[in-house]
Amino acid sequence: MKSNKKITRWCIYLFVLGIILLGISLLSLCVGSAAIPVRKIISLLSKASDSAEYSILFNIRLPRIILGFAVGGALSISGVILQGMFRNPLVEPYTLGISGGAALGVVLSIIAGLSRRLGGISLPVSGFLGAILVIILVFYLSIRKRVLRIQGLLLYGVMISFVSSSLIMLLMAISGADELRGIVFWIMGSLEQPNWLLIKTAVWVSISGLIIAYFFSLQLNALSLGEEDARALGINVENTKKVLFLLTSVLTGMSVSICGIIGFVGLIVPHFIRLLVGNDQRILLGASFLCGSSFLILSDTLARTIIAPTELPVGVITGIIGGSVFIFALTKFK
Amino acid sequence: MPLDKIKTAVIWILLSFLFFSPSVNSSPEEGLPRRIVSLGSTLTEELYLLGAGDNLIADTLYCQRPPQAKLKEKVGTIIAADLEKIVSLKPDLVLATSLTNPAVKEKLKNLGIRVVDFPLARNFQELCGHFVELGKVVGKEDAAKKIINSSREKIEALKKKIQGLPKPKVFMQMGANPLFAVTKDYFLNDFIEFAGGINIAAQAKSGLYSREEVIRQNPDIIIITAMGLLAEKEREQWFTFSGLNAVKNSRIYVMDTYKLCGPTPVSFVEALEELIEIFHPRS
Amino acid sequence: MNTLLEIKGLTCGYDARFFIQEINFSLEEKEFVGIIGPNGSGKTTFLRAITRFLKSQKGTVIFKGRDVRQIGFKEFARKIAVVSQNQPVNDITVEEFVLLGRIPHFEKMQFLETAHDFEIARKVMSLTQTSKFKDRLMRELSGGERQLAFIARALAQEPQLLLLDEPTTHLDIGHQVAVLDLLKKLNRECGLTVIIVLHDLNLASEYCQRLVLMREGRIYKAGHPDEVLSYQIIEEVYKTVVVVEKNPISLRPYVLLVPEEERRARSKKYGKEE
Repeated sequence: MKSNKKITRWCIYLFVLGIILLGISLLSLCVGSAAIPVRKIISLLSKASDSAEYSILFNIRLPRIILGFAVGGALSISGVILQGMFRNPLVEPYTLGISGGAALGVVLSIIAGLSRRLGGISLPVSGFLGAILVIILVFYLSIRKRVLRIQGLLLYGVMISFVSSSLIMLLMAISGADELRGIVFWIMGSLEQPNWLLIKTAVWVSISGLIIAYFFSLQLNALSLGEEDARALGINVENTKKVLFLLTSVLTGMSVSICGIIGFVGLIVPHFIRLLVGNDQRILLGASFLCGSSFLILSDTLARTIIAPTELPVGVITGIIGGSVFIFALTKFK
Repeated sequence: MPLDKIKTAVIWILLSFLFFSPSVNSSPEEGLPRRIVSLGSTLTEELYLLGAGDNLIADTLYCQRPPQAKLKEKVGTIIAADLEKIVSLKPDLVLATSLTNPAVKEKLKNLGIRVVDFPLARNFQELCGHFVELGKVVGKEDAAKKIINSSREKIEALKKKIQGLPKPKVFMQMGANPLFAVTKDYFLNDFIEFAGGINIAAQAKSGLYSREEVIRQNPDIIIITAMGLLAEKEREQWFTFSGLNAVKNSRIYVMDTYKLCGPTPVSFVEALEELIEIFHPRS
Repeated sequence: MNTLLEIKGLTCGYDARFFIQEINFSLEEKEFVGIIGPNGSGKTTFLRAITRFLKSQKGTVIFKGRDVRQIGFKEFARKIAVVSQNQPVNDITVEEFVLLGRIPHFEKMQFLETAHDFEIARKVMSLTQTSKFKDRLMRELSGGERQLAFIARALAQEPQLLLLDEPTTHLDIGHQVAVLDLLKKLNRECGLTVIIVLHDLNLASEYCQRLVLMREGRIYKAGHPDEVLSYQIIEEVYKTVVVVEKNPISLRPYVLLVPEEERRARSKKYGKEE
């Protein structure tokens, strides 16, 4: 029946995207500046070893792949949800000012010398705290009489972004040269995260986020008709808006705190997938997650191999590749 | 209903931490390092000074001195080091600077590789301290101390030579747009003091300096460093302020960044001699 | 016939301004009621107050004996459907659009449409003559076709009461008749109760059993079209000169507007009488 045709189509999409993700992950595992022949990789996969190659595969490349999976997926579904909620194709996870707040948190903690005292974990934690503060601020500014105004989120989010950038530039100007470099590293965005606890957190938050988003997929479909019509279809619009806003904020905050600022993923992947599978959130969420993960892992692989032994910031690659592929796809499909 | 799912998810996250397995942290071997990777051009130079150059297996693209360093295996830039390359070379010691990506340092430590950090020296004293530290780490402590003493003696001799000579007012800048001056918090300040000059920006709170203030102070000498290709432009810029002493006597100099900004105890002395020539020219 | 809707003393608005005041209104099952009135008289607000999109300041809305505020969102959507002003819709096929109307009927954990849902969608699309468009994108349809799709979606909710807010305003005469004929048929054959806000007095007169004329937020007159559409009442409320005749085909009142030229011509002819 009709239902089966649609479900079959969806399953095929997810399967194909899953295979692509697996393929890109394996590619990323095999490729790197320390050229390890594929045969060696296969033998290493079966048994652990003390060799440097094993270290490289499992302690350098694999964590990056896993983190790319988590963050690429998180940013993509945040983009999908926000574009659905705002019914605006230009909205992406950083529009709500969360990246600005996280960056500000990181900058302040570097200047206060916290990273020296508390070690590497201080940066993601302070970034996340900064993100939370912005989330709370934007949330309360946008609520009037228990109603969450979507336009408010956008307005305040953009304003807070600008204010944060200006504050960061001010702090960078008056701080010492040493501290400056720490800030630059973080802003450039990278999947290099030594702390396994954070990587695990990223994966769990990301997947949990996807599952929660799926529970709201019907609501999101209804929201595409406008708030009034969605309400007429029986959706608790206020609840839905609040939960989705918090969900995307946490996903984005987590991504930015752990990896710095990696742009374009949340903007481009939803658009691209939409051209392929349509607007139904039930397929859009899963497909975007898989595509976003693949995209980020691929970009990271390129970033660390193109001009080896130097490494490009991954945001540069996502911008260039993402932008070009997207323009190409748009012209072809329209 | 969705709220129940959220609670479940949160419990999930908390449970997963039970399965958290800390990464392998094998203790580094003791004994003198035989395979050293240097992530700083100054550190590379210092290694050769100490006679440990043979133990250096890799350095950065920017490690140009001494010439032998150029031939070593490359592991990236000073800011962006290639982790895989480093690990594949199986080093037993990695020398890092304050410019090295902290994530890279931590990752190397997690993999059981010994990393020693050398933060930026803020004055000559610290520079010597770091040099001796480096000497200890590579087993050349005595050589280090000898070199330090020799440099110190030379500096004392130089100081005696210029004792009693009039002290010129000096302005040393590290950047333009915004104008960035050398204050007493930067070790470059030691150069000025040892060479018998007065750093007009010494007491400033931060390096951000106003050009008007410089003009007001009217230094006798302006030194531009660490600005690469823009240095010449900056020099021309200064020449438009014809009222300055430094302009009138044509005493605006662009100095080699390598020598001034990344000195070893030995090159420090060489740079100092140059500066003394500039500050107190033989008539 | 049972009372479907009972509204007592309903007063609604934003902040200090009230858009509708002291509305008392009751509706029986299977009625076909038209709400008419000048711009700004509160017609749309009335509908929104029934669907509780606007919080009412005073008064109650009782649906089948239950206060509407106690009815959950989903349950409400299964009983009452709204066809609002034609809004822009993004890239979605007509069939997917109509299927959205099945959302109120999804079970708690249901995620995908069942065969039953597809069946209902097929039925409502054939009722509204939109089956032939089912795979076209919504934005490719004409205004009239889109309006029919909106009605199809509302019908997919399987409501007992259907509320429509000026569904015919931008349609040509052919589509106007098509829409209203459809609603009339549903009312007659399927027992669907209809409240429809209409701009066009003659359409209202033709199709509605009962009319509610609103003015400045209150009900000015309610009753059979013969009672409500008298020239005195219309002139009083709309502040314009009209002539009311009997439609020769249906014998319902037919409102004729009188352009200024005619007015001057007539007053000359009949002296100062108007």
